[in-house]
Amino acid sequence: MSDKFERELRDHLHKEAAQTSQFPRALRSRIADGAEPRARNRIAPQLALAGALVLIAVIALGVRNEKVIITTVRTGIGKIIPTATPAPTPQPFSCSSESGGTVGQSSALTAIRPAGHTGYDRVVFDFNGPIPSYDVVGQDSSTFLNDASGQSVRLEGTAGVKIILRSADPGASSQDSQPSLTAVRQIAQIGNFEHQLSYGIGLASPTCFRTFELSNPARLVIDFDTSRPSVTPSLAPAPAPTSPPSPGPSSLTPFTCTDHSGGTATGTSPAHLTQVRIAHQAAGYDRIVFEFAGGPVPSYTVTRQASTHFVKDASGQEVALQGSAGLKVAFHGAAAYPTFTSSTDQTPGLSVVQEAEQIGDFEGVVSWGVGLSQRSCMRTLELSGPTRLAIDIQTP
Amino acid sequence: MGEGWAGGVEEHSPLQGRRNVYTMGMLMDPVLGRTIERWRDGDRDAFQEVVDRYGLQVLRTARLILRDPALAEDATQETFLKAWRQIASLRDEEPGPWLNRIATNEAISTYRRRHRFQALAERFGRFAGSKREVSSEARMDLARALDQLKPEQRAAVVLHYYQDLSVEDAARALCIPVDTMKSRLKTALRRLRELTGTEEEIG
Repeated sequence: MSDKFERELRDHLHKEAAQTSQFPRALRSRIADGAEPRARNRIAPQLALAGALVLIAVIALGVRNEKVIITTVRTGIGKIIPTATPAPTPQPFSCSSESGGTVGQSSALTAIRPAGHTGYDRVVFDFNGPIPSYDVVGQDSSTFLNDASGQSVRLEGTAGVKIILRSADPGASSQDSQPSLTAVRQIAQIGNFEHQLSYGIGLASPTCFRTFELSNPARLVIDFDTSRPSVTPSLAPAPAPTSPPSPGPSSLTPFTCTDHSGGTATGTSPAHLTQVRIAHQAAGYDRIVFEFAGGPVPSYTVTRQASTHFVKDASGQEVALQGSAGLKVAFHGAAAYPTFTSSTDQTPGLSVVQEAEQIGDFEGVVSWGVGLSQRSCMRTLELSGPTRLAIDIQTP
Repeated sequence: MGEGWAGGVEEHSPLQGRRNVYTMGMLMDPVLGRTIERWRDGDRDAFQEVVDRYGLQVLRTARLILRDPALAEDATQETFLKAWRQIASLRDEEPGPWLNRIATNEAISTYRRRHRFQALAERFGRFAGSKREVSSEARMDLARALDQLKPEQRAAVVLHYYQDLSVEDAARALCIPVDTMKSRLKTALRRLRELTGTEEEIG
């Protein structure tokens, strides 16, 4: 399909592109300066409507008596623009993350008040100004990392929630506490750095929560659901543990049901993928081997996912592979073109590995999607002579 | 066995009824999904994270099309500022292709804006000296030959040969019909061959 000239053209374009090796800092700050703070766009149509209403009322001024108009306008605007303190409509509990607040507003946190209620534990953060921009993120452990020191802080409980408050400073009475409620066991500050405050909440078990904002005074309320005794683990992304460097084939690492990563960051020249092989091994696993032309195995991540849908890196086009679960294998500082000449879509039809397709070879990232018949645990092995990454996927 | 899998996303979507970023978590890196959510809420730090992630890619594409570092930086800046203002137009898709679409079109219009005067001048033949000489005899290298293409043609070449987009995807990125894209690529390639003195391979 593509002839020599087209290959030359492709190589040339990649070479030209590589001459721009980094994003200039000055350009980065130009962009940052140019991004004007944006009002939340949800309010804009409402404001426009209110404006139109005022206009109509003013036009009507000549016809009607003044008193009537003012009340009309007032009630009209009242209907359109939500009042400053919306009554907290009880939202459903969510098990993932919540965020909100006002970006660019700074406030001091004046108090943290935990209390137990029927069906939920409530933690209220009081502010002396507007509620700053915040994130509330659930996690599967009660261990937090201190923002500045990187030291880990273990709170009481088996799960946790991290609260990040941007442009916020701690006030005098925003003390750590150990309320030992049904869900909320401990609250501790885990960061106060660069105007960003973070708090960890240790929870007895993974608990779903909801957040809402109240004013006068400004309060951020987090309710933890205690009506359900046990909840599915939160969906916080599991951290990808780094596999031990280059274990010899003799010291096989155990299969784990986690994401894998490893490899060695390559310098300027990418590691060239030469072959991808897939086969079943009698010892109870399907093995996928990615072979490279020399050098160490480039930096890689193997990420599990609950579907076989992948998005092609450059085009954004979606592909669905065979199977019911997936793995995404990504190599950084790697290239498949022009060394990899075999099929970029393989269907070995093994018991677990059903299909593997290259989903990207762009900007130094080579990625492959793997369709699996079921979710399986795996291990990765970095092998040399020739350079290979083997991914072993357990079969039933 | 299922323990530890980041699964259950579909069965237990925490944000049902809200924007659909999380439900497509299996498509988009969840961390990126949350960054986009924060950006939608006006968080400039989140926006900056996206700039850091895609900046180089956008800048490279702009440079390949514009052939001028300063103009490419202008186009990159305009791309991200447009994206910042128009985040609502990012539907349930990865931000990469969306930014790419804005960047490519921005590069073409930056080129047109900047070269309007030059084009006019050339028509009157007065300032034509500033234009690079095209000698039919000398074989040009590919870089010089690319300089000679029209920006639309270069964009087509960059999307197809550098970004490896299919003809259909490249057409979508440039908002043009597939047939137009095909003929644009063909013309561009023919011109490049002429300029570099490369014969077309038969068969």
